[in-house]
Amino acid sequence: MLTYIIRRLLYSVVVLLVASFLIFTFVTVSGDPLSFLKMSPGVSQETIANITERKHLDDPIIVRYGYWLRDAVTDQFGTTIIGERKIMPDIQRVMGHTLQLIIAAELLAITLAISIGVYSALRQYSVFDYLATTFSFLGLATPVFWLALMLQVLFVNVYLWWDIRIFYTANLSGVDPGGGIDFVLDRAQHLALPVIVLSIANIATYSRYMRGAMLEVINSDYVRTARAKGLKERRVIMRHAFRNALIPLTTVVALNFGALIGGVVVTETVFALDGMGFYFINALNSGDPYPVMAWLMIVSTGVIVFNLLADITYGILDPRVRHD
Amino acid sequence: MRKKAIWLFAAALSATALVVGPTASAEPSRASAGTVVIGHDQEPATLNNLITPGNAYTTSLVTNLVLASGQRYNSRAVLVPQLFAGKPRITRNRPLTIRFSIKANARWSDGRQVTGNDWRATYRAIMDRRWDITSREGWEDIRSVAVRGKTVTIVFRRPYAAWEALISGNIYPAHKLAGANVNQLYQSGLDVSSGPYRFVSWQKGTQLVLQKNARFRAGSAARLDRLVFRYIPNTASLFQSLRSNEIQVTEPQPQLQIVEIRRNNAFRVQSGPGYFFEHLDFQFGPQGHAALKRRYVRQALAMGINRSDVRNALYVQPGLVASARQLPVLQSLIWKPFEANYRAFFARWGFNQRNVISLLRRNGCTGGPATPNRNNNDIWSCPGVGRLSFRFNTTAGNQLRALTFEIAQAQLKSVGIELQPRFAANALTQILPSRDWDISMFTWLGGPTSSITAFALYGCGGDQNYMTYCNRSVSNALQKAQFTPNNVQRRNLLHQAERIMANDVPSIPMYVRPGFLIGRRTVTGLSINPTQQGSTWNAELWRTSQ
Repeated sequence: MLTYIIRRLLYSVVVLLVASFLIFTFVTVSGDPLSFLKMSPGVSQETIANITERKHLDDPIIVRYGYWLRDAVTDQFGTTIIGERKIMPDIQRVMGHTLQLIIAAELLAITLAISIGVYSALRQYSVFDYLATTFSFLGLATPVFWLALMLQVLFVNVYLWWDIRIFYTANLSGVDPGGGIDFVLDRAQHLALPVIVLSIANIATYSRYMRGAMLEVINSDYVRTARAKGLKERRVIMRHAFRNALIPLTTVVALNFGALIGGVVVTETVFALDGMGFYFINALNSGDPYPVMAWLMIVSTGVIVFNLLADITYGILDPRVRHD
Repeated sequence: MRKKAIWLFAAALSATALVVGPTASAEPSRASAGTVVIGHDQEPATLNNLITPGNAYTTSLVTNLVLASGQRYNSRAVLVPQLFAGKPRITRNRPLTIRFSIKANARWSDGRQVTGNDWRATYRAIMDRRWDITSREGWEDIRSVAVRGKTVTIVFRRPYAAWEALISGNIYPAHKLAGANVNQLYQSGLDVSSGPYRFVSWQKGTQLVLQKNARFRAGSAARLDRLVFRYIPNTASLFQSLRSNEIQVTEPQPQLQIVEIRRNNAFRVQSGPGYFFEHLDFQFGPQGHAALKRRYVRQALAMGINRSDVRNALYVQPGLVASARQLPVLQSLIWKPFEANYRAFFARWGFNQRNVISLLRRNGCTGGPATPNRNNNDIWSCPGVGRLSFRFNTTAGNQLRALTFEIAQAQLKSVGIELQPRFAANALTQILPSRDWDISMFTWLGGPTSSITAFALYGCGGDQNYMTYCNRSVSNALQKAQFTPNNVQRRNLLHQAERIMANDVPSIPMYVRPGFLIGRRTVTGLSINPTQQGSTWNAELWRTSQ
């Protein structure tokens, strides 16, 4: 296993290097980062020349890539092209916010999805199973932006009708979030709606996986054997079926988590959450390629790491799987 | 087994409770008394508005309250002294020499006096070639700056018409600029204030907090304790936040949600014309339609479009502005309806379809309709220039422009002039500068000093004269206006130029985009401002009864 991990890590370095070149090349050729300045009347030509020289924008792409890679490795992705603003502190900040959002959403989704999936499998073709199936497909089909707006409208109206602030509709914290438990409560009130929005699609996906896996397991020979040995049904389910049924879900969750690291663009934009997705959109709008490249590199790293974690976890949970 | 099941259940319950439980029981929280929360769709990139990333409206909303200006624009776009003791005076015409004094009671929040040295340090920072200054236009024309205490005397190398706006901007503290890397100055906060508010904190991506500057004596002290800027880029969320009192004031783009808010008694919606104006430009260059080089054709186009209809369809009928009076039809290419120098030169081209037909017929055009007819399919052909069928270039995906086009197309078709849509994503970035179009519709973004630089748009060889329009009389007057510091003389020159342009019709002013300022009725003192000074221009006078 250790050899496998080391080998995968080494592969990952190569993959990241190739990814970095592709990211740099594609983002760079997508447009002139100073085009907006050049089109703005009155912007000093000297300023444009200064920035061009400082950021080597006149050099060939391969040379610029070298400078950028150097900055990425030795200076935490360096600074923005316009404004010389350090990139990494901003990414660290938004990454923290996105992690809060996706960890809460994943916890909620996993907990509910497992419960729904297991119960649906055990009561296959029951009313509950049909309802769970219907709501799962509904959850998968509901557009995130629409659901987000509907929840906002709902809770704004709750506030207007009863003067009770249950959840906030935008941003990550209140004007005066306070400290300690007040801060936690305030953060929870702000994160609740995006967490719900994010969870609903995941609950739908995960519960379908869980149901399928559970059905497969409870109809397998070893579970039949366990029952034939006279074990109590609860023990058969929890000890023999449930644990094994979790394996496929673990992989899905790990991969999904890796993808979510990039932020959930729509959710974060609608709720004005200062997360990775929001950062990406702002970086794109600003036309500055360096924050975009840094973001893409970090997301690529996240995807690679979580892919690796998924494989390792799979091996640990299922002893039949061996990584040679 | 049972124990494990209990643990699993407990874990599930905790996870759910962590997210939902505390929130449901939380007490409603409101901004404390004396605080007004402003929602804005864009967050500043920096608080240094000397450099390019700080050259944004959202930045000036904050910085103007903290780093006070020599003068600021009021709601009628007139400069009024803020840190200056009075209006700056021209003491000599040749060379242009200006003198002003800073108020005796103007001081920084750290106790130091605001003096002429601060103004000079700001000037020097702008002129320092190491920094990414947005523009040095005008500053480069300054020959010398003499400071005596709080009095500053500036001598220009050559007359610079926009001198008053140039010298009246934010004054930066000399003691902070000394030795600083201006490109990296004030990226995350402002450590000193000369305005009615001082900077407190900036939670990036969420909010920026200003507090009353207790040491401010150079004007009215702030009535509010705090002013909070919340950044919400999504329009729908911005309005939901407004309804739920998470924010109390906002300045949205024209959106249909404004109509709903206008009906709500809890809010007061102010709207009025701003400096951004939509217009139709005609191409005079070799790639444009030959007919557009004929004045009578351009005049026919101007009379064939009902600009009131366009204004009504875009803003009045949807209920965005309360009445047509709040958004007059634009009748000038140089000034806006709220400006003192505005004259309705283009009003002579009122909508008159019969006049269009008779004008074209008088000039020998044939093949068009005898009378205006909605179902007309006959298109005029004019001597030497062919059919009056024009390529209409504008941006794709802009609903307001699409609607404007539809109205203009239908109205012109009924008098025998055809518009062919050429909507493209690169309509402004590539097609417009290429000059390969007949008619282009787009917006000029302007400000109070735009009239001074009208030469760039309408002068022969002007930087942004994409029409290739050239009338020597107009050009000479506009050129001269750029270097005429005297307001009255300059106004006369610009009126002279525009009178000729109104006859030439190189371009048709369509409408001024309205600005909106929405506030809860609990917040008083709000007053819409059409300039870059923005809605917070008088924020020291705001009060809240919440």
